[in-house]
This record gives sequence, C-alpha cells and structure tokens, in this order.
Amino acid sequence: MRILYLLFLTGGFSLMVANGFFGREFFGQRRRADLPPSIRQTPGAYRTFLHNNGFHGGK
Amino acid sequence: MSTLASCPSCGAALSFRPGTMVAVCPYCKALAARRDRDPELIGKVADLVDTGSPLGLGASGTYAGRAFTLAGRVQLKHPLGGVWDEWYLALDDGRWGWLAEAQGRFYLTFTQAPHGTLPSADSLQAGGLADLGADGMWTVGELSHATFHSAEGEIPWAVEPGATYRFADLSGKNGAFATLDYSETPPLFFLGREIPLNDLHIQGGVRKPTKLGTQSLNCPKCGGALALHAPDQTQRVGCPSCGSLLSAENGKLAFLKSLRQPAQDVVIPLGAEGLLQGEKVICIGQLRRSCNLEGIDYPWNEYLLLDSQHGFRWLVQSEGHWSVAVALPPGEVTQAREGLKNLSALGMNWRRFQDVQAVVEGVWGEFYWQVEQGERVQVTEFVAPPRSLTRERQSHRDGGEEVNWSLSTYLEPGEVRAAFQLAERLPSPMGIASFQPNPHKVALAKSALWLVGALGLLLAMVMAESVTHRNVELFSRRLDLMELAHLTPGSTEVARRNIPSRRPAPAQPRTAATTGDPATAGAQEPVFFSGPIEIKDGHSNLAVTLSAPVNNAWVSLEGALVSETTGVAELFLLESSYYHGVDGGESWSEGRQTQEVFLSAVPPGTYVLRLAPEWDGRMPPVGAIEVQLRQGVMRWLYPGLALLAILLVPLLMVFRTAAFEGRRWQESMYSSKTSEGGD
Repeated sequence: MRILYLLFLTGGFSLMVANGFFGREFFGQRRRADLPPSIRQTPGAYRTFLHNNGFHGGK
Repeated sequence: MSTLASCPSCGAALSFRPGTMVAVCPYCKALAARRDRDPELIGKVADLVDTGSPLGLGASGTYAGRAFTLAGRVQLKHPLGGVWDEWYLALDDGRWGWLAEAQGRFYLTFTQAPHGTLPSADSLQAGGLADLGADGMWTVGELSHATFHSAEGEIPWAVEPGATYRFADLSGKNGAFATLDYSETPPLFFLGREIPLNDLHIQGGVRKPTKLGTQSLNCPKCGGALALHAPDQTQRVGCPSCGSLLSAENGKLAFLKSLRQPAQDVVIPLGAEGLLQGEKVICIGQLRRSCNLEGIDYPWNEYLLLDSQHGFRWLVQSEGHWSVAVALPPGEVTQAREGLKNLSALGMNWRRFQDVQAVVEGVWGEFYWQVEQGERVQVTEFVAPPRSLTRERQSHRDGGEEVNWSLSTYLEPGEVRAAFQLAERLPSPMGIASFQPNPHKVALAKSALWLVGALGLLLAMVMAESVTHRNVELFSRRLDLMELAHLTPGSTEVARRNIPSRRPAPAQPRTAATTGDPATAGAQEPVFFSGPIEIKDGHSNLAVTLSAPVNNAWVSLEGALVSETTGVAELFLLESSYYHGVDGGESWSEGRQTQEVFLSAVPPGTYVLRLAPEWDGRMPPVGAIEVQLRQGVMRWLYPGLALLAILLVPLLMVFRTAAFEGRRWQESMYSSKTSEGGD
C-alpha cells in the first residue's frame, strides 16, 4: 500500500510540477504540427493542410 | 511490651503483645486465648500448608516510617480450594496491620472505624458496587467465606479452630483494597491497598525455603510421569496420559475421577519454556473451554503460564488468534452494569463485544484452583483493540460469588512461535478476532504523516504557482464575423460548411495576412491572422478563450498558434455553444457561451495566431466573438489531481479500515445492527 501511495503521490505531484513550473498541458483538444514555409505563406492553405493532416474542426 | 505466659497445653513459654488475642504454641500447636489471668486452651491447629510464601514469622520491616514485626499468621481456606495467608504486622506504635497474600499479590489493610453504616452482606453482589458512604464507592471483587485452617505466632483477633468467616473483598482504583468482615456485628472494616513486597523492606524471619523447580510425581491412576512446576500452588492436575483429574495438596497427588476429555489440540506442550514479552514463562496447564451460541459450539484453548515471579498468565488460542491475559484487580475497572455498552477503564474506552457462558471441557496439566470439567463462568468481553477486558463471574457452590477481570493483549502467531521457539508454523488465524488490531488502521495511522506532508507540499506549490502565474494577456480581439466572412446583412453568399466542397481559397500574400486586416484575409474564408505576438516566457502555459453570445446556436473556432521562426503550430479547437428551451414544462439548457483551451508552453519567440471561426448556416449566429490569449494561467485541474492522488490511498485505507471493523462487529452481540441503545 505504501508503494502504491508513493506512486500516486509521485504521479500527482509530477503532473502539478510539469504544469505549474514547466507549462506542460496534458488535457484538452490541441495538437502540434510543423507547418512548411509554403503553407505559412499561404493563409488559405492552412485549412486544407490542417484538414488533410487530421485536424478537423467544427461540427 | 510483651506479656509472657505458659502454654496451657505443654507449658512452653508464650508471649502476648498488646493487642494479641490468641497465640499459637510453636511446640504443641495449641491455640491459647488471652484471658485475664492465664491463657485458655481453645484448641489445636493443623499443620501449616506450605504456600511458598516469601514471608516468615519474626521478619521485620518498615511501613510508612514505622517499624513492624511479622508477629503471626493465619491460613484460611477458600471455598474453591486453596489456602491463603494472612500475616499480622505488629507495628512499633502498637497498631496491627493485616497483610493478606494470595497468588503472589499482597494487600496491607488496617482496621478502620467506618464513617457510616456498612452495607449488609446480602445487599452486595460480586462485580457490583459497595457504597460505603464517606468511605467511597468500591467494587465488590469477591463475596464469599473463609474457613480457618491453621495459624502460627500471635493473632490479633479471636480465631476459632474450624470457624467460618463471611467476608467481602472490595477493590478500588490505584490498588486500593478493603475487606468487610461479617464475622462480627456490626461488620469490621479493613482499609488499605495492594502493596509491592519491596515497599515493606522486609528482612529476616523464619520460613521454609520455597520449593523451586519441578517436582516429579507419578499419576496415582496410570503411573504416568507428571511434573509439577508450581507445587506450592497447584490444586488440581489433569493427567495428560490417562485423563484423570487429580487433587494436589501438599505436593501429594490423589485420584479424584476419570474425565472424558476431548481430543487434546496441543500447540504449546506442557512444560514448554519460552520468553513471552520479555518474561520467562513455562506452560504448566491447558484448558479447553467453549461457549455455545445459537446452538454452535465455539471452542478455544487456554494455556496456563507460570512466570519467573510465580505469577500466572494465560495464553489463549482461538481459531488461530492468540492473546496473553493477566489478572486485574476488580477495582481497576469501574463497575460494568448489565447492558452497559461502553466502559471507561485503565484510561481507555472499551466497547462491549459479547456475553457468553464459558464451560471447561478439557483439563490437562496443573492448576492453582480446584478446576472441574463442566465448570461454568459468565464471561463479558469489552474490547479496545489490541486489548480486551474480560469479566468472569463465577458462582460458588455454597452461594458465594466472585468476579475476576483480566486484561488480554492480542499476539501475532509469529510472536507465539518465536516465544516458544516452535518448529512448525502456527495455523493461520480464521476470521477476525474480537480485539485483533485493525491492520488497515495501523497503516492509516502511518500514512497520516505522509498525508500531512503531502498536503503541506501541495499547499506550498499552489502558493508558489499563484505567485508565479501572472496571467499575462498576450492577445485580445473582438472579431466581427460578418466582416470576417465578407457578408452584409441579407447576403446570399454561403460562408461555408463543408471544407472539401469549399472553393479553394485564393492565395494571399504573407504581408497581408500578418497585418491583422481581415479584409484582405480571403474572399470566402472567415480567417483572421493576428499580428506578431511576442512570447518571452518559455515555461508558462497558454490559454485561449472564446466568448460568443450565442443563443440556441454555436460558433466554433479553429485556431493555430504558429511560430514564425520554426513553423511549429499549436493547433486547438474551441466552441461556444449554448442551447436552451422548455421540454415538458421544464426548462433546460446546455453548453456554454465561453470556452477555454490550454496549450503547453512554447519556446520564446514571435508567433502568429490564426483563427478560423465556423458556424451553422449562411449567416453567423452572432455578430462578433471575443478571443483572448493569455500566458501563465493557473489551472486548478492539476492541484485537484494532486489532491486526489494524495487522498485516494488514505481514502482507500479508510474504506478498508471501516470494512475490517464492520466484519469484526458482525460477530458481536452489541454491534449497531444487533442491538440498540447504549450507556
């Protein structure tokens, strides 16, 4: 039980430290993508690029 | 100053101190009563029983600064068998003290004039209270009678050979002790306390050497070898070879009857020596007792242990659970009236667990009282794990009654095994014993320190975060959706709904996109590009908030925070959706007009926020939406998760502790489910 408690405490505080002091987020609808320069320079291409890369917004 | 006289029987010299009523001739055992002129012969006494007393006639000592001499002794027989000594202390101030000795305990009392009327013997009950008025409330430990057996030296009261004396032993707190002697009217009142022998500083005296070690005898029935380890105190012996019950008096065995013994379930053999709780002990007897509850017999074994101080304790084994029990003076426990569910004693609170009638089924080894097969006692058990207080009420055949309290402490089987160096593992305990310590409670107590430490750490971290999280606004904009979608009221232009079917957006020059001017962001695409956003802190999270006053409609926002340096984009989705109505007469609502999404910290640099709102239908449901980007936003989800992690295991322990207690009290007659009421 003590080991289990240690694991829980470690997990809980790790999450808090990662978020509070390193700005890491673990929950929520978000993704990260590398946009090629050609896309960045073409505003209209964002949506198509993102859509084709699995980022589907809206209802 | 003693008065010298001659023995009326043999003429030997006798001395009578002031206060001496009867003197015993050391030569002819004549009892000489003091008279005005010469002593009167009132009988002769039997030989003294060797009780193994450490005291001897003529010994001297001090008590409360006064010197005394042990001037005489009377031996009295108990109705349950056995003999105890009463020594008479002649103090140098002329007073007499009564020093009773029983089972290794000493009680020193003095005659007192009661401050009120003493209760009659018939009004007392063993285990009950005796109200002595100004002399206090006492617990009646025993209400019985004693028969004169023998004497020596000088006796400060008028003993008579063969006479019987009714008495009540009273017990109070902190060793207080009193006796009401009903041999006279009104009864005599003796007041004192239990006293360690060392406090009397006794020296000298003439006494027989104590029988030490083991006395080897043979069973008079089967001839089997028997070893008596406490021959001075043994009253009964159960022969383990033939099952005979033997009397043992003065070191001699006599056959009484054959017993139909149950099969002996031996874990601690007779004669086994051990070191239990730091005390050397030897197992000298084993009792099998049982109780019957709802037609089911519940047997248990009790091993009688003799310790190095010639005191007794019991090692009790019941369904694999072990405990060690020692006797308590009744006065140490406040009177437990019938039906009382809770008891306060020995500085603890005790909870009543059960009342059973215990019956002796098997007798093996030696015992310090005249134990009999079928002997019954009424047992009441109070528990405060890992201890229990047990009251045993026993009626004497001749109408007397006594109450004995014992304090039991739970032992792990491993402790018993180690104490007696047993080769085999002891059977595992079955179920939960009435006073078995709750292992989860122990673990819970141990985790309390961790819990407090973790909560303290959590609080410190929350405080640190609240200081370091400055909630800095990086971007805030009110976006006009009509303008963004190049729509005018009444326009039939389709904003868009399905991306694949949408017309390809014309390419826009980068410079136009980064100006933040939606007018040049695209003819049909309602897309907004922010100006450059400078992010300096690479260790704080980001939060994007969408607020839209939607009403039975929704607006979603597809966003990207794009690094101008690396091209890495943090993509996110937000939706403002709020619906409400009335259904079946009840109003309802769902969704929120404001939503927030959190992004992980990004490397310091310049970023552009791309925002692409969407909605259902041609026209946007609201004229404008508010979008905000902040950095260093305190997110309570993580402290909440940490708090959950801190509390989850203790809560689990609390649950297991409660479940354990529930299982324990299921077996009780006094659980909340089986009884009601209380004290």
